[in-house]
Amino acid sequence: MLEAVQRANIIYSETLGPEQFGIIQKPLTLAEKVYNQAWLRKIAILVVLAVAWEIYGRWLDNPLLVPPFSEAMRALIEDVGNGTIPARALSSIEVLLVGFATGTLLAGLLTVFAISTRIGTDFLETMTAMFNPLPAIALLPLALIWFGLGAGSLVFVLVHSVMWAVALNTLAGFRSVSMTVRMVGRNYNLSGLRFVGKILIPAAFPSILAGLKIGWAFAWRTLIAAELIFGVSSGQGGLGWYIFESKNQLNIPQVFAGLLTIILIGLAVENVIFRVIETRTVQRWGMQS
Amino acid sequence: MASGATLASNSALSGARAITSAGRAAADADAAPILLDVRGVTIQYKTQRHLVTATYRVSFNVLQGDRFVVLGPSGCGKSTLLKAVGGYLQPTEGEIRLKGELIKKPGPDRIMVFQEFDQLLPWKTVFENVAFPLKTTGTLDSKAAYERAMHYIEKVKLTKFAHSYPHTLSGGMKQRVAIARGMAMEPDILLMDEPFAALDALTRTRMQDELLALWDDTRFTVLFVTHSIPEAIKIGSRILLLSPHPGQVKAEINSVPRGQESSNEAAALGREIHDMLFADQIEEAPNA
Repeated sequence: MLEAVQRANIIYSETLGPEQFGIIQKPLTLAEKVYNQAWLRKIAILVVLAVAWEIYGRWLDNPLLVPPFSEAMRALIEDVGNGTIPARALSSIEVLLVGFATGTLLAGLLTVFAISTRIGTDFLETMTAMFNPLPAIALLPLALIWFGLGAGSLVFVLVHSVMWAVALNTLAGFRSVSMTVRMVGRNYNLSGLRFVGKILIPAAFPSILAGLKIGWAFAWRTLIAAELIFGVSSGQGGLGWYIFESKNQLNIPQVFAGLLTIILIGLAVENVIFRVIETRTVQRWGMQS
Repeated sequence: MASGATLASNSALSGARAITSAGRAAADADAAPILLDVRGVTIQYKTQRHLVTATYRVSFNVLQGDRFVVLGPSGCGKSTLLKAVGGYLQPTEGEIRLKGELIKKPGPDRIMVFQEFDQLLPWKTVFENVAFPLKTTGTLDSKAAYERAMHYIEKVKLTKFAHSYPHTLSGGMKQRVAIARGMAMEPDILLMDEPFAALDALTRTRMQDELLALWDDTRFTVLFVTHSIPEAIKIGSRILLLSPHPGQVKAEINSVPRGQESSNEAAALGREIHDMLFADQIEEAPNA
């Protein structure tokens, strides 16, 4: 044995057995586990903020400036209960979906045009460079002249806010599809729209999804802003109009209720709908960048 | 003294099986019909600044059932040559024919297996990746594609992972999926572009053994590009040696028989190939 060790030029050393260590693995305490949950920590922050708001509101004692948190919540629950807020939210979301869908569709057409011809690429690049820095809301006065007071104007500015962000990201995504994947697609005789549908879109999906998220965020903000400016279209306006109306009637708790609703809907879409799409697609495929 | 011995073995070997550029090795000339006919192919491509000649008047034939290896140092245009056979590039001179048909564009009768791991479509499972070309090219309907895909997945021993996504697999497993995907199409010829180059040495050896086992099983025709001499000797039944910048045929060699890749004969062949490549570098140095 010793001879063998010397001949092979190996020096062996002893390792300790597991029973000789004090701690190898030990469960954390309950407090440590609780503190490790990010969502619990965030809820704690929200609770602290709400309490601070409540205290400040009561101390100020001027519901026209800052009503206490409890007042705002009461107004929220009341108006959700009597169906005012859901109806307003629904009318906002309806317009939003039409604008978002149209914008995405146009972005898709534009991007396909852009990748198939060089002049198409130039067109898209020029248009995006021009319109991307322009806040969609700035087009509202023109839209009002062209389409009048109504959903048409809102859809127009929404399309404008969605289209460029989605087109820009989709084009960037298509361009970053690796040469290997493209060659694999061409190897199977895929070309034209089949190539776009079966190779480019799924391969660029992380970028496309990022574009849709940005487009959604732009659209939601643009819509509320546009509604604040005019908003009354068919019978009743959306959430922006609800806030504007409440302010005019000096129902300040309702204004806060409207703002909270906008935040909640925004959070729900970003953290529930887009999160679900993400876990089912790019995360499952290991494509999240 | 040592160089004298090498020289002697060189000439002996040359007499036995290495025939320089003039033509193919004679040993099994009458064995099988010509499948791929590459004749006088010069390939040039443009970069931002230069017109590069990648290969110059390269000719060779691949027969049915060949394990044909194109071997050469980096920059000899071997990958470019393979892409031309794949139909991704057009030669500026000469022609490439598969079963007598001129190759004009990529097609599923020549499936490429790449070096890069991202050749698998990440949004599809192993099974979906293997079945994808079968379905999109309309080769088979869903049910038949399922059976064919599962059959080849079993051949590369990945049945357990058939419904996993590629990002959960190791590099070697990904390459096995790519090989299964290529073989499932049962193409006329499988084009492999250094498929094992990005793998670690142990996995690489195992993959070479597996590829040879698959070949024993189905006798597919493969055109295999590599820059590794031992890999060429082990994988290839025939080896085409290319010189660098631009790639020209230096020799066409019959490799040692299967299972003798660690014999003395294989070692001698390796040295001979090494010397041929090495000689080339010396010739090049004064010019550069």
